[in-house]
Amino acid sequence: MSNANLIILLSTISTGLILGSIFSLVAVGVTIVYGSIWMPNAANGQFFVLAALLGWTATVSWGIHPAIAAILVIGLSVPLSYALEFVLIQRFYDVPNRNVSYFVLSLGITQILAGIFAFTYGRWSDQFQLPPLIGGITFVGPLPVANNRLLVLALALAILAALFALLRYHRYGRAIRAVFQNRDAAALRGVNVRASYSLSFVLGNAVIFAGGFLFALAYSFDLTVAWTMSITAFAIMIIGGPGSVLGALIVGMVFGFTQAAVSTVASPTIAAFSYLGAMLLILLFKPSGLFAR
Amino acid sequence: MMQNKTGVWPRNLFGSAVPLVAFTAVAGALPLVLSGNRYLAFVAGMTMIHMLWACGMNLLYGYTGLMPLMFAGIAGISAYTVVDLTAAGWSFWLALPVGTLAASMAGTILGLPSLRLKGFYFTLCSLVIQTVMTLAFVYFSGLTNGDTGISQIPLPSAGHGKPLSGLAYDLVLAAAAVLGVIALIITVHSSLGRRLIAIREDDELAGALGINVTGYKMIAFFIGSLFAGIGGALYAPYIGFISPRSFDVLISMNIWLMVAFGGRGTIWGPVIGVALLAPLSYLLQEYYTIKDVLYGLLIIAVIVLMPAGIAGGFGRAPRLLSPRINLPTPRRSPK
Repeated sequence: MSNANLIILLSTISTGLILGSIFSLVAVGVTIVYGSIWMPNAANGQFFVLAALLGWTATVSWGIHPAIAAILVIGLSVPLSYALEFVLIQRFYDVPNRNVSYFVLSLGITQILAGIFAFTYGRWSDQFQLPPLIGGITFVGPLPVANNRLLVLALALAILAALFALLRYHRYGRAIRAVFQNRDAAALRGVNVRASYSLSFVLGNAVIFAGGFLFALAYSFDLTVAWTMSITAFAIMIIGGPGSVLGALIVGMVFGFTQAAVSTVASPTIAAFSYLGAMLLILLFKPSGLFAR
Repeated sequence: MMQNKTGVWPRNLFGSAVPLVAFTAVAGALPLVLSGNRYLAFVAGMTMIHMLWACGMNLLYGYTGLMPLMFAGIAGISAYTVVDLTAAGWSFWLALPVGTLAASMAGTILGLPSLRLKGFYFTLCSLVIQTVMTLAFVYFSGLTNGDTGISQIPLPSAGHGKPLSGLAYDLVLAAAAVLGVIALIITVHSSLGRRLIAIREDDELAGALGINVTGYKMIAFFIGSLFAGIGGALYAPYIGFISPRSFDVLISMNIWLMVAFGGRGTIWGPVIGVALLAPLSYLLQEYYTIKDVLYGLLIIAVIVLMPAGIAGGFGRAPRLLSPRINLPTPRRSPK
């Protein structure tokens, strides 16, 4: 293999890994919320961009170091999520077919946030870029990779691992998973269903915020990312199986690589066509997804 | 059945007669009253086109119980077909039925997932279809001129070469809106409409009663897409410019909102919804992003506070809430 081809291959792999881990983060956030409170959060892309934009304000406008800004922004998602849960989300906890209501509700939130962004950030700039966490370049074989992106990748993987450990081994994680599987049986075994609902809503949004912030650290972004991310996260969730964290993880990685590979050889539009098509097929023929829990 | 017919038909039709006459009078008078002010007349004309779209959406969402978020895309198929055909030398009045038929066929085919998917899953599926259509409008730039869009679309001619005046086209739009509402009233009060309502209430039960659920859902999509197609075909020359953004998911959401806000499953609720909401986006002009925020808030208000809309909806007792959270509740399977 010639050197140029090797560089293309390696860069596709590195882009695929970074994109895949961020896709996985967002999709896991969406699928946790859907699996527990049955809310298909179409506003995930707007939350994602909100985190990125807040990070931009904190680092570029206020000059805060990106690491501190990350903690602040992700920390801010907790009271925001609790407020949203208290005002809107918890009203529907007892409604039988609440996923349609939630879906439309989150589309309403999408529209509000998109309008606000267009009115504020959209007037200030087209393209947003955050300062890197760390400087320097590492050579992976012949390919130079910014240390910043490597760190983003490491952080995303670390958050995914921590999330996995939390859901699998910690008491709260087990409670969330118990409610995932059977809310009534969990209630009978003494799990506080309502607390577990609000916890998973907050947790899911915090993960989406983390994904948005990490994406902004690794790549420059604009406001149109929001809708693409929403649809992508939904596609990952549906294909992986709604509520399945493992499915979201694996399919998210696959999507990241597909996006990187298809964008190298064809256009990003083709990539979007391909996974929307995959999602339609899964919806029609196996709506429970590939990794149904 | 016959007794039901003689008992229900006349009362319902008379019930619609008074508002229908009022609506016809207002729709017909508006272009004449506003003819001095092209801008306000344009806002009224766009409202009339949204009336058509809302009628189609109401048939699907209000009367058949399906919630497609791909309505704007179907209108877009018709708009692009008509614009391309007229650019190729066809008369607009010949292109209109062809484009509408193309949209209806597309709508019927794209509605097929509704046979397998219900509730949220169908809505999500239609959202994906809408996104694919928007991408396709951008991608097939040979037919659609991509993101740039097609501009300077002329108003149709009246048959002897000269384009219609603005006032004449406004009257055409008003007539289309009135005919659309009449068509919806007739559809809903026919036996077809009663079957669609049966499917809305419980499609398994409707199937057990011998109603061909598959066939009637497809008919609903065909008729609903007819409204979308006529609206889309009339829209393009009126506004003079179409691009993929004219038919994107936000427009689909807006049409849904007008129906839901007005009161789905009623004839006049969505008409009121359109009359209140459709002019907003054109009147706000450069502050149009406020419209997005306002529409978003209204969506939330409709979902949280008034699921039946301002016209009161199905005219039934409010649906039963399931028991409180820590009691066993049946949870439907995803399908």
